[in-house]
Amino acid sequence: MSKAKPAARTSALEGVRVIDFSWIVAGPQCTRILADFGADVIKIENDANMDYIRASNPVPGSDSPNRSPLFNTLNRNKRSLTLNVMHPQGMELLKTLIKKSDVIVENFSSRVLEKWGLGYEEQKKLNPKIIYCSMSGFGHSGRDRDFVTWGPTAQALSGLTYMSGLPGEESAGWGFSYMDHTGGFYGALAIMMALINRNKTGKGQHLDLSQVEAGIGLTGTSVLDYTVNKRPFRREGMPPGNRAPDQKIAPHNTYPCKGEDRWCVIAVTNDDEWESLLDVLGNPAWSSDPCFSTMESRLINQDDLDKFISQWTINLTPLEVFDILQKAGVPAGAVQTPMERSEIDPQLKHRGFIAEVEHAELGNTKVESIPMKMSETPWQLNRASPLFGEHSAEIYMDLLGLDPEELGTLYEEGIA
Amino acid sequence: MNTHPPQTPPNRTDGALEGITVIELCGARGHFMGKLMGDMGARVIKIEPMGGVSERQIGPFIDDEPHPDRSLFFWSHNTSKESLEINIETSEGQRVINLLATTADVILEDFAPGYLPSLGLGYQDLSKHNERLVMTSLTAFGQDGPYKDYKSPDIVALAMGGIMHSCGYDDLPGSPPIRPSGDHGNKIASHYGLIGTLAALFNRDFSGRGQYIDASAHEACNSTTEHALPTYLYNGATVFRQTGRHHAAAPTAKTLCKTSDGKYLIVFQLFNNLYSWRALVGWMADAGMAEDLEEEKYKDMARGGSRGMRMATDTTDLDHAMEVVRRFIAAHTSDEIYRGAQNLKFPWGQVRSPEENLDDPHFSEDRQMFSEISHPELGDGVSFKYVGRPYRFTESPWDAFRPPLVGEHTRSILIEDLGYSTSDLETLISKNVIS
Repeated sequence: MSKAKPAARTSALEGVRVIDFSWIVAGPQCTRILADFGADVIKIENDANMDYIRASNPVPGSDSPNRSPLFNTLNRNKRSLTLNVMHPQGMELLKTLIKKSDVIVENFSSRVLEKWGLGYEEQKKLNPKIIYCSMSGFGHSGRDRDFVTWGPTAQALSGLTYMSGLPGEESAGWGFSYMDHTGGFYGALAIMMALINRNKTGKGQHLDLSQVEAGIGLTGTSVLDYTVNKRPFRREGMPPGNRAPDQKIAPHNTYPCKGEDRWCVIAVTNDDEWESLLDVLGNPAWSSDPCFSTMESRLINQDDLDKFISQWTINLTPLEVFDILQKAGVPAGAVQTPMERSEIDPQLKHRGFIAEVEHAELGNTKVESIPMKMSETPWQLNRASPLFGEHSAEIYMDLLGLDPEELGTLYEEGIA
Repeated sequence: MNTHPPQTPPNRTDGALEGITVIELCGARGHFMGKLMGDMGARVIKIEPMGGVSERQIGPFIDDEPHPDRSLFFWSHNTSKESLEINIETSEGQRVINLLATTADVILEDFAPGYLPSLGLGYQDLSKHNERLVMTSLTAFGQDGPYKDYKSPDIVALAMGGIMHSCGYDDLPGSPPIRPSGDHGNKIASHYGLIGTLAALFNRDFSGRGQYIDASAHEACNSTTEHALPTYLYNGATVFRQTGRHHAAAPTAKTLCKTSDGKYLIVFQLFNNLYSWRALVGWMADAGMAEDLEEEKYKDMARGGSRGMRMATDTTDLDHAMEVVRRFIAAHTSDEIYRGAQNLKFPWGQVRSPEENLDDPHFSEDRQMFSEISHPELGDGVSFKYVGRPYRFTESPWDAFRPPLVGEHTRSILIEDLGYSTSDLETLISKNVIS
């Protein structure tokens, strides 16, 4: 990696090149973070092995592989290279690319790169500074390393699915692949830690990530309750729905609002907020009942308390509840819909959360920003997600030094 | 000030973040950032108000005895830190933070916007004598904008962030959206706060300069909802919550299946390809439970793969196949189906309770996912199993040590790091700056 002059740096990960074999959501979430911070992420696919997400809910118009909304939001700022690594010459080109790169990311099942003859030991021979991040379901060691996961599998096994729901009912779980997002976060965290470490030691390493283990890492309190107190999370009355038994605060719940299937949340964390809530409600008669006078008593009587609060919220929209209560200093929120988040939320607008970028096939498209502002090296939205193979020619010629004739042969022989 | 001799953090030399010093002024929103850094070798000094941070009051507690040093919620988010208990609303307390900041690499904080600057502890103040300082402010809604002063405990972040809109039931009439328990709004915020912090540290190795990061839990949650925004923004459709499975703009097949021992599995991708379909039906046939699934038409469905199934408009055969599979699963235990299906390459997973992974030898033995951490303050030889490393670095080990007692390191930090004398400390105690 070249050391740019201090003044010349505009992106935090400027100068870092990433070979990206990752697919679907978890890996692309990881490499999106790296690309948003200015790393040169080269996404490798080929005709026989295309990222499945290219086919996810495409915007109607043609059957091209470039029309998936989720693909566009997950793969912005990356370059696309078509390369068939099953062809010997393709493999040689990949090896050349490895020599010119800093990081390799893949989320195949656990033996794929070994089968290619490209396990970490081989990578290291090509480039001792390479950081290899494998993002498999169960990790690259252990008796179940060949088991496979998708986001929902990892959520189920780690305990996260079970922890989400109403007591006595089936699991509500997570309504999306939370562990694909979070698995991606851990990939990016690990890679950046390893890059920081490499700045000091000059050495690369293999980062062996497991999607299930990243999920288990989020269950620390519940596991401790078992190992310390022998109290399993799987027990009567759990999961806690939308209440907060460990914090011992009430009201803490969802409440129905005006409109079809509309909801707000209210969480009163102390007596001051409780007084403010009652002021907003106009100090109704029920509120003077001693059974609501302390946090402890409100907790005991929260079924009744929730009913009374619902009588107030049901006549308001979720955003009205949010607005009225927050202005009075009471923590409250609307269960926001995608429409409200995209078109109404004035905070997200103020912060420029939904960014726009021109896509060659879809025209002007909207994507979610990386959720932070940095004073020196803010993230940049340089390009929409790449069309399939959009950057092959420039990568083969500018980076790998092929001439146009050689490139033509690669296409003819199905290598590029 | 604590009277026990303080825990001396183990001498770690090869952690990925070894050599980085972090000053953490965080509560529930940001404390996971400091833990993740400390577990990878950074020195993390947690600044706590007199009596300790309020997260120490959150249960569960050891033996259900509430006490600031017995909160398992605190423990699980605060390993590998030192604790400096000090009143930062005094000028003497502010001087201590300023002194620490002159040599620190990172400040992590999650106070409301404007609070630290009002104490003379904003980024402008703290970076004055340390241009290499990286400071990350992780707030509810960000440093500016119409919501900046609003409060956002975890459930509010998950509601406003659109996550709860996707989680819940479609077969329980009138049921509310569900907040997945486990403080995930705060965790998503912390993950992104740390992502920005690390990017800034990497950049600093080349630029020589730190920077200020303004991270927002609201934006972090809003960017962590998979299909929800793209489906609305591009296709004009709204996803809705469906029991135990993905949000979608149209109803999808239920994936939760009950087993003979009363547990559940997530079951999906029946028709991923012909090979796996044949294997599944063969397994069911061996048990005499394949019913009519060996018929040719199901093989055709499997040939189409997952893409073919998405295009299918008539789901009658799909629904029927799922019902037959459901009956097969109901006649077997959760372990039988999980291991049997995974051996055939189906990504089905048991719906486990978190503690059940302690009994899975892949994680507990082969991968050493759980770590025994000593708690000598509770007696000789006392230790507890914690959830361990979320990633495995081959060269830079994950290595956690016990969360700090309230103020455990106040004395050692003031004396050894900042050069205060014993009489200086007595003066601070008399002024209620430290205890």
